[in-house]
Amino acid sequence: MSGRLPVNLIIGAVLVALVVGVAALSLIWTPHDHAAMTIRNRFQPADGVYWLGTDQLGRDIVSQLMVAARNSMTVALVAVLIGGSIGVMFGLLASALGGWVEDLIMRVADIGFAFPALLFAIMLSAVFGPSLTIAVAAIAFINIPVFARVTRASANQIWMRDYVAAARAAGHGRFAISRDHILPNIAAPVIVQGTIEFAVAILAEAALSYLGLGAQPPSPSWGRMLSEAQTLMFMAPHLAIYPGLCIVIAVLGFSLLGDGLRDITDPRLKRRRA
Amino acid sequence: MELSQVSVGFAGAVALRKASVSIAPGARLGIVGESGCGKSMLGLCLMGMVPDAGQVTGSIRLNGQELVRAPERVWRRHRARDVAMIFQEPMAALNPLKRVGDTVMEPLMIHEGLSRSTARARALALFEEVGLPDPAARLRQYPHEISGGQRQRVLIALALACNPGLLVADEPTTALDANVALRIIDLLVRLSESRNMALVFISHDLAAVSRATDQMLVMYGGDIVERGPTAQVLAEPRHPYTQGLLGARPGLENRGRTPDGRRKRLVTIPGTVPPLHDLPQGCRFSGRCGQEFAPCARQRPQPTALGQGQEAACHLLSPLHAGHGTCRGAA
Amino acid sequence: MSAPLLQLDGVSRRYRMPRTALLRPPPVLTAVDDVSLTLNAGQTLGIVGESGSGKSTLARMIMAFEAPDEGAVRFQGAGLNRLSGADLRLARRRFQMVFQDPFGSLDPRRRVGWSIAEPLRATGAEDSAARVTQALYQVGLRAGDAQKYPHEFSGGQRQRIAIARAIVTRPALLVADEAVSALDVSVQAQILNLLMDLQEEMGLAMIFISHDLAVVACICDRILVMRNGKSIETGDTGALIAAPRHDYTRSLLVASGIET
Ligand SMILES: Nc1ncnc2c1ncn2[C@@H]1O[C@H](COP(=O)(O)OP(=O)(O)OP(=O)(O)O)[C@@H](O)[C@H]1O
Ligand SMILES: Nc1ncnc2c1ncn2[C@@H]1O[C@H](COP(=O)(O)OP(=O)(O)OP(=O)(O)O)[C@@H](O)[C@H]1O
Ligand code: SF4
Ligand SMILES: [Mg+2]
Ligand SMILES: [Mg+2]
Repeated sequence: MSGRLPVNLIIGAVLVALVVGVAALSLIWTPHDHAAMTIRNRFQPADGVYWLGTDQLGRDIVSQLMVAARNSMTVALVAVLIGGSIGVMFGLLASALGGWVEDLIMRVADIGFAFPALLFAIMLSAVFGPSLTIAVAAIAFINIPVFARVTRASANQIWMRDYVAAARAAGHGRFAISRDHILPNIAAPVIVQGTIEFAVAILAEAALSYLGLGAQPPSPSWGRMLSEAQTLMFMAPHLAIYPGLCIVIAVLGFSLLGDGLRDITDPRLKRRRA
Repeated sequence: MELSQVSVGFAGAVALRKASVSIAPGARLGIVGESGCGKSMLGLCLMGMVPDAGQVTGSIRLNGQELVRAPERVWRRHRARDVAMIFQEPMAALNPLKRVGDTVMEPLMIHEGLSRSTARARALALFEEVGLPDPAARLRQYPHEISGGQRQRVLIALALACNPGLLVADEPTTALDANVALRIIDLLVRLSESRNMALVFISHDLAAVSRATDQMLVMYGGDIVERGPTAQVLAEPRHPYTQGLLGARPGLENRGRTPDGRRKRLVTIPGTVPPLHDLPQGCRFSGRCGQEFAPCARQRPQPTALGQGQEAACHLLSPLHAGHGTCRGAA
Repeated sequence: MSAPLLQLDGVSRRYRMPRTALLRPPPVLTAVDDVSLTLNAGQTLGIVGESGSGKSTLARMIMAFEAPDEGAVRFQGAGLNRLSGADLRLARRRFQMVFQDPFGSLDPRRRVGWSIAEPLRATGAEDSAARVTQALYQVGLRAGDAQKYPHEFSGGQRQRIAIARAIVTRPALLVADEAVSALDVSVQAQILNLLMDLQEEMGLAMIFISHDLAVVACICDRILVMRNGKSIETGDTGALIAAPRHDYTRSLLVASGIET
């Protein structure tokens, strides 16, 4: 029971700490300048100087991966925070007002839910030109309905509690109750969802960059490293393997962490799964 | 079934202390007390279902066979056939995805090796016996489609499926409406009489116990503080705790007003049950007892026989302290 | 004589049930059916009935959480359903509620003092610590308890806190929906005595809802018996217990152990 943490939580936390640690480290230190091109040094094998070798333009792979981790984290964080805040607001609103407002918000959310992020990003890029901001906006956008749903479902549960009825009896309006009682009590499921969405956002950012719709050169990104390595697949497979591995570690880390957090905050789900 | 000197301990706390209980075939025993006083723990001892964290000592015998250290495998053979239990929350105890008929047929097919059709016939007969209206249709319904009282009847049918010699009912009526509860109690009494089945009826409701049982135990803080024939204990409670419980229950004598126009107050037991690890030395009830005197805080009172099978563990009743205070009976 | 404190005139409430068939109109459940009652200041009225008889629905309408489909709820002469949002908020100072579940009626993330002061803040009364402290004393708790969280209290103590919250605005009416049903007998008796104390001290009128006629009888002047949403019998407690007119009332008497 308590005291023993779930395995997925521990593994997830370790992986996340690793990725976040590396990303943070890249702010102050990388082994080399990640953008410095020395054609002389292209396709260097891994050695004491270039720990994972260099790419087709002679840039250090480790440095690139580190900076890319930071970019990826930043995009995911900003996107999830923006999308999450807007989604939570809509969810709270739907739950507080009920009736046709709730129906409307949730139907719109359903449509948003069914809308592929990639398509949205491509549309935005077509209009505004590709950039990291567009990627962030697209990822944030797909997060809105996800958070709106989770928030509404959790909030509806809280609205049925007696302490909410007591607050109504006290004379509080719907918005004061949403702020004072609903929001603090749905924090746990929303944070869990946020962690899981973080993983989704990392993946989405990689996919968008892969398509050239995300981070623009020289700013490194796992997705773009992957797409650049694609043409050299047979000559230098490691160029594709390392960023791929990074994506897997980051996504897996946040997914496991989210799952683990859910297990400890909602024991019912865990038992059902067991 | 016979329990002697059974104790259940959890790290640093005793949930049940040296309880000795014997239950003859067809007997009906009530267990009352406030929340957390060990009633369910006693019930679980009878079922061999004490949580893993609990250390059980003493002796539990079923038809002469010692079961206190028996492995789960042995207990499983006895459950359903010799001892069965009904739990408090009727919704939680039924699988929501299963038709209630299938739920009742399952143990019959597993334990008794009945075929599906025979099992269905037995289930139908059981549903009739427990008084479910339109039993054939009920077999096909899901738990959420029937009322709370009907769910409780399904659970009783389930418990009766393998003709147990002893039925442990842990607060079977607490979640129910007073009227429905009444009918369930009457049903349990009737079944116990017609099947010569022993019944252990756990409840914090004295009125329910009075209706359902002929012997009763009163528990406080893991101790059995008073026992005896139900009618006798309720008419003439000797332990201050039993007296307190009886006084707290609103009855006709509490109605109306005193001469100065104020409403009559109920008799209360001051304070609340302290947590298990924080129970007083000496008498568990000291600190809340209105008749406490010198030895109470130091010495643990031993049960004193009071005649007609009634006994209570209180220093006031012990011959050692004879003459000290008088124990008031019920008004 | 001035208007009664609370008056219900032919109040009904219907709920639409889920559709059973696509083309048929959804069935309608009448949870409260044409109930009228009058309560004067300082009086206590008990409402009894089995589960699903509409007691809580009636309480929600009295508390103006829900509007009746028919009929009117008048509090101190004013129709509650006609009040504007701001006026209703002010009026709520005068009627408060205690709920059944002592574990569910307090926000687990808020200090007790914060919860007790909630009605003061909501109705724009001054949020003085003194009022909270006084309410805590009135229900038999200590001033220091305001700093604690609900999980630090037992069920009975939590119900005391819930009562403190309900009386902090010094209301004229207290609605208690199954307020002692979840408690052990000994604690139940303590809470019932507390409610009687407060009722006499503050001149509170009270609507006390329970399925246990014995509990209702010890605290109420009058009793209203509900069944299937209808009020089937009402009268002075003594008379109703001595000579119930309905078999249903008699069955409630048996069920609560008053009659055998
Ligand atoms: N797994 C456990 N670990 C530690 N203590 C336990 C455990 N299970 C039960 N207890 C303790 O044993 C005591 C007796 O519990 P029990 O369930 O028998 O009470 P009860 O009389 O049935 O109360 P209620 O009326 O609330 O059902 C309680 O104080 C409880 O805290
Ligand atoms: N929001 C709702 N939507 C649909 N039906 C409802 C709703 N609220 C209550 N009901 C129904 O109205 C009827 C009366 O319910 P109510 O809660 O008032 O009963 P009660 O007398 O308080 O019962 P209990 O003793 O179980 O609390 C029930 O049949 C219930 O299912
Ligand atoms: S032994 Fe003392 S404290 Fe315990 S019940 Fe008897 S009089 Fe009260
Ligand atoms: Mg129990
Ligand atoms: Mg109700």
